[in-house]
Amino acid sequence: MSLRNRELANLIVVGMLTAIGFASVYIARQAVVSTGSLAYAGFFFALYLAAHLVSRLTVPNADPYLLPMAALLTAVGLTEIYRLDPTDAFRQGLWIVVAVGALAATLFLLHRDYRRLESYKYLFGLAAIGLLVLPALPVFGQSINGARLWIHFGSLQFQPGEIAKVLLIVFLAGYLREKREVLAQGRLKDFGPLLVIWGGAMLVLVETNDLGSALLYFGIFLAMLYVATGRLAYVLIGGVLFVGGAAGAYKLIGHVRTRVEIWIDPWPHIHTSGYQITQSLYSISNGGFGGAGLGKGTFTTTNGATLIPSANTDFIYSAIAQELGLVGAAALLLVFMLFIARGMKVAMLADDGFSKLLAAGLTFSFALQTFIIVGGILRMIPLTGVTLPFVSYGGSSVVANFVLLAGLLLISNRSNAPAR
Amino acid sequence: MTALPGSIAVEEALLLLKIAFLVLLYLFIWRIVRTAARDLRLPQESFVLAPGSIPGLGGEAPHIEAGKIVVVKSPALTEGDEWDLDASPLTFGRSSQNDVELKRDEYASSSHARLEPRRDGVWLEDIGSTNGTYLNGIRLTRPKRLTAGDIVRIGETELRYEA
Repeated sequence: MSLRNRELANLIVVGMLTAIGFASVYIARQAVVSTGSLAYAGFFFALYLAAHLVSRLTVPNADPYLLPMAALLTAVGLTEIYRLDPTDAFRQGLWIVVAVGALAATLFLLHRDYRRLESYKYLFGLAAIGLLVLPALPVFGQSINGARLWIHFGSLQFQPGEIAKVLLIVFLAGYLREKREVLAQGRLKDFGPLLVIWGGAMLVLVETNDLGSALLYFGIFLAMLYVATGRLAYVLIGGVLFVGGAAGAYKLIGHVRTRVEIWIDPWPHIHTSGYQITQSLYSISNGGFGGAGLGKGTFTTTNGATLIPSANTDFIYSAIAQELGLVGAAALLLVFMLFIARGMKVAMLADDGFSKLLAAGLTFSFALQTFIIVGGILRMIPLTGVTLPFVSYGGSSVVANFVLLAGLLLISNRSNAPAR
Repeated sequence: MTALPGSIAVEEALLLLKIAFLVLLYLFIWRIVRTAARDLRLPQESFVLAPGSIPGLGGEAPHIEAGKIVVVKSPALTEGDEWDLDASPLTFGRSSQNDVELKRDEYASSSHARLEPRRDGVWLEDIGSTNGTYLNGIRLTRPKRLTAGDIVRIGETELRYEA
């Protein structure tokens, strides 16, 4: 079976899964939702068929599992968002159309040679910093749940950090490819860039109160530095620096201190700052082994009040864990792990430094982000609000992740191509 | 009595849908794991860039001396064995037709790779192997010129090129 036919076969399985999911929500919540829910499955399948056709045209040799896995994660997310709030699902559906459009545009623009991006690396770096600073500006910036991450134009909200992340990885891939031989020697003065990025991450932490993003950006940088130089010392020193910085933030910033306290023991704070995480833990345990069933979980009290705040964004994993149980939640994590494994394989097979760095950086950012939010929800690490890639509700996140997917497809297409 | 069978049917339908959903989900995962497991059996690659592995940067003066190739490790050859390269190409593979026979290397193809000394240096080319030929840990997609110290891997055999 050719690569693209394999992709199609996997997408058909995903289409069937989507149909079953929406049918289940429809039957369980007939009182609330309309027959329109079944149209979602059809619409969704058509959309991914379109993405598949674009991949046939532009990246015939790309990995055949990446697109179906992204489709599966998006489908599970959309089903759960629909189940929580049909109007949100409609908006999310529109964002997925935009995201598939962005995927198609990226593939069409860059499928001849994405490596020319390397010559614009500083432009990408500047754009990323610009986007990151944007929410801190008083005119656009908006603070939600104590973290300044959003910009708004009228009623439109946007989280520029998600896009900035992808741009930053393109910049780092280009920059580290150029400087790696100098950096690999590991002399004292070569630690300059490490310290600058560390300072930047700490600035992000202080300015936006967002430990998750700081950890994400710094982690991406360390991982790519390791890929470029193969020196473990950088990772160790970077890790020590980060822990030191985080400890300082704990001492100085009240918001960070609260997050750590409710991580260690949320129960004394159950009616205040710990409300969200304890409700989420109840939700997960309510799912048990096999789950309540799609559409049958409990997310509101008998008088209609919402139990978990932002269940469709940061906490979507605990909503899914309730409805699909341990079996389903574990399966979802397995899909994430396989996506990461395929991504790392793309990095391994890539035959030039820029592609290797780009693929490893994109994959690692995806992995770390998943770890930060799922680990936070399961109380493995302090909870910080980042989105669960492809699954969470949120336009900027979905668009950014589809661009990330386009990048991996382009790189694997190039390294799998028959010898020229 | 009419409401009761109806509600039971709904419960059963939902249970069936849930089971179908989970079974299909694991089927999907299984399909991907199966190929991933197949990949594991192939010799592993690194995603870390090896020193001096950037193509196109090794632009030193062209080697007119053809140099030699030394066995680093191999299930088929003795470590430290050497082949001097002269004007004629050297082929590697499992069959006895090759200049260097890799009889006991199970990952090598019957005719696997060729080293060809040219005027501008020694070129390594994969000649249709199943598992690929690797230069410094990176799979060859087109012929490449060797520089001194390069590690060539054919199946499980590793060779070092010395100028």
